[in-house]
Amino acid sequence: MLTPSKLRFRLRYDQTFGLLLISPWLVGLLLFKLLPILASLVISFTDFQLLTPEQTNFIGFANYIRLWKDDAVGYVLFETIALGISTIPLQLVASIFLAALLNNPRLKSGNIMRTLFFLPSIIPGVAIFFMWFGFADPNTGWLNKLILGPLGLTGFSNLYSDGAIALLFSISSLWSIGPGMLIMLGALQGLPPEIHEAARVDGAGPLVRFFYITLPLISPAIFFSIVINLITIFGGVILLDRGNVFSGSYSPYDGYVSYQLFSLLDLGYAASLAWFFFILVMLVVVALFSSARRWVYYPDRDV
Amino acid sequence: MYSMTTQSAKRNWLSPHSYLSLQLWDAIGTGLFNLFIVGVLFVYLFPMLYMVATSVMEGPQLRDRNAPAYPSQQMRIEYEGRDYLIYNVPMDGEIRQLALVEPGRTSSQFVDPGNVEGGLISWEGNWRQLKGVYRFYMTWGNFSMLFQALPLSRMLQNTLTMTIISEIGVLLSSIVVAYGFSRFPLPGGNLLFYVLIGTILIPEKVTLIPTYFFYARVLDWEGTWLPILVPFFFGNAVFIFLLRQNFKSIPKDLDEAAMLDGAGPLRILFQVILPQSWPTVITASLLHFFYMWNETRQAALYLSIRRDLSPISFGVQNFQSLAPIQNQLQASALILMIVPVIVLLISQRYFMRDVVVTGMEK
Repeated sequence: MLTPSKLRFRLRYDQTFGLLLISPWLVGLLLFKLLPILASLVISFTDFQLLTPEQTNFIGFANYIRLWKDDAVGYVLFETIALGISTIPLQLVASIFLAALLNNPRLKSGNIMRTLFFLPSIIPGVAIFFMWFGFADPNTGWLNKLILGPLGLTGFSNLYSDGAIALLFSISSLWSIGPGMLIMLGALQGLPPEIHEAARVDGAGPLVRFFYITLPLISPAIFFSIVINLITIFGGVILLDRGNVFSGSYSPYDGYVSYQLFSLLDLGYAASLAWFFFILVMLVVVALFSSARRWVYYPDRDV
Repeated sequence: MYSMTTQSAKRNWLSPHSYLSLQLWDAIGTGLFNLFIVGVLFVYLFPMLYMVATSVMEGPQLRDRNAPAYPSQQMRIEYEGRDYLIYNVPMDGEIRQLALVEPGRTSSQFVDPGNVEGGLISWEGNWRQLKGVYRFYMTWGNFSMLFQALPLSRMLQNTLTMTIISEIGVLLSSIVVAYGFSRFPLPGGNLLFYVLIGTILIPEKVTLIPTYFFYARVLDWEGTWLPILVPFFFGNAVFIFLLRQNFKSIPKDLDEAAMLDGAGPLRILFQVILPQSWPTVITASLLHFFYMWNETRQAALYLSIRRDLSPISFGVQNFQSLAPIQNQLQASALILMIVPVIVLLISQRYFMRDVVVTGMEK
């Protein structure tokens, strides 16, 4: 039922004013973003080579046909999906768990604790890279001297083995939890404490309160994190910029785009690879947005 | 109805018997909880301890396989005007600490630091097999070297100026745009919002060359902060998305009440919605701060020709790639952390609950 006040409310929340409000972003899009984006789309239909831009030809869908036949694309795509499935849920659960712990009123000197947990997220990539090679160095590093040695394990001998690289990547991804944790902490902080009090009075235990009250109430932030993590896997520098070392290695697919772009200098093919993946991820994002209706809690659904 | 006695007989032995023990239980719970957090923190930050330790180490220790894990220096003595390193030398069934004076492949000459007048002592064997004698030693040399080699205060000033300017721009525009997306019906329904998400999705590296061409050639902004700062005044899609999620989770009842009182849309934004989303606004501003603090890509593109305008991240990264020496590198990474730590500590004063106005208690 529309009460008169609701009706007036609707009338005043009108399209023109909405457009006016989002106009800064629209203008910015038209001024700064749209041309480069369209340019990269056009480039994906050409054989643009970075070293010989003057010999560029329009080649139609040749790049897209080439990527369809490229075995490497299927491989890196599979690896990237595997990476996403294994890391996105883990990072999400870890950031919610950590934020809930750090938001607990029992925590002593919480400001310092929260700062310390965030700290590794601002170490430049170069420093992490070198730190790891020093830390795990078979002869002089701490890994053998302080951890594996005292435990009686055979020392770590090959810095470049698959296991060692996997460990480096898991450290660097664990150490990237800061922004995700901060977003969850912000969401938890925004919850009105009265709701928890009311549930406590009604006899809900801490776990029930967490799963039935806290989680649904922060579901908009969880939704945000899932979408952003998905996009990060795709290869944008979004929340965390660690400098140049890890660029091009956010995911295998992203690494392949970088390889085509910066090693083979084949901008045309790199652009078509990126646009192909863009369409794939955009489909997933749209699917996520339509699933949001079912599990993301917004108090007013009519907008 | 139960009498008092049956009730106490049925009591669970775990349940508190008096007010004091309830307090005790609470204290134990708090203690265990904090112990757990400290334990997790220790494991989480353990590799960072290595970073801190190496930053106060001298260069030779990093190449010495016999050196201890803590920052240390091999002991040495002065003998006849020169420095000699001290080693543990097995001799006549005991281990003596002697200074190596004349190294040789099969036999070396040592001198006893306690009895220098005793003259040279000969030892048969390869001195490279010997382990040194170390003492705890920290040096601030890596840090002071960095402070001399880099114009840190000017670079810090650059970063802070850029951060403050872009912070104001990005917050104001993102808040207003997110308000539009979360509360107003827009032409095309969700289409514009999908376009917004799409702009986050396209990787920077693909649009890099056209963007650079536009800023550097068309607008002639190379060598200025403009290509880095100006786009932020048109909103950051990630923050718009984040704030939109938060605004949508705020019930509209208060908007409507304020509207009935005659408040316009902008007044509702600033006086009703923003006070309730303060933690998310702070989250966005912190994320932007850390982004600007670490930003090197744009700086590398547009400020390479004006080193005096370069932000601290770019300046330090240049230095790091020139001389990737473990201990100096880690020292520089630690220097880069000082300001973020201060910002994190201060920001929590405004971030944590006691200051947040929830707006519900009317």
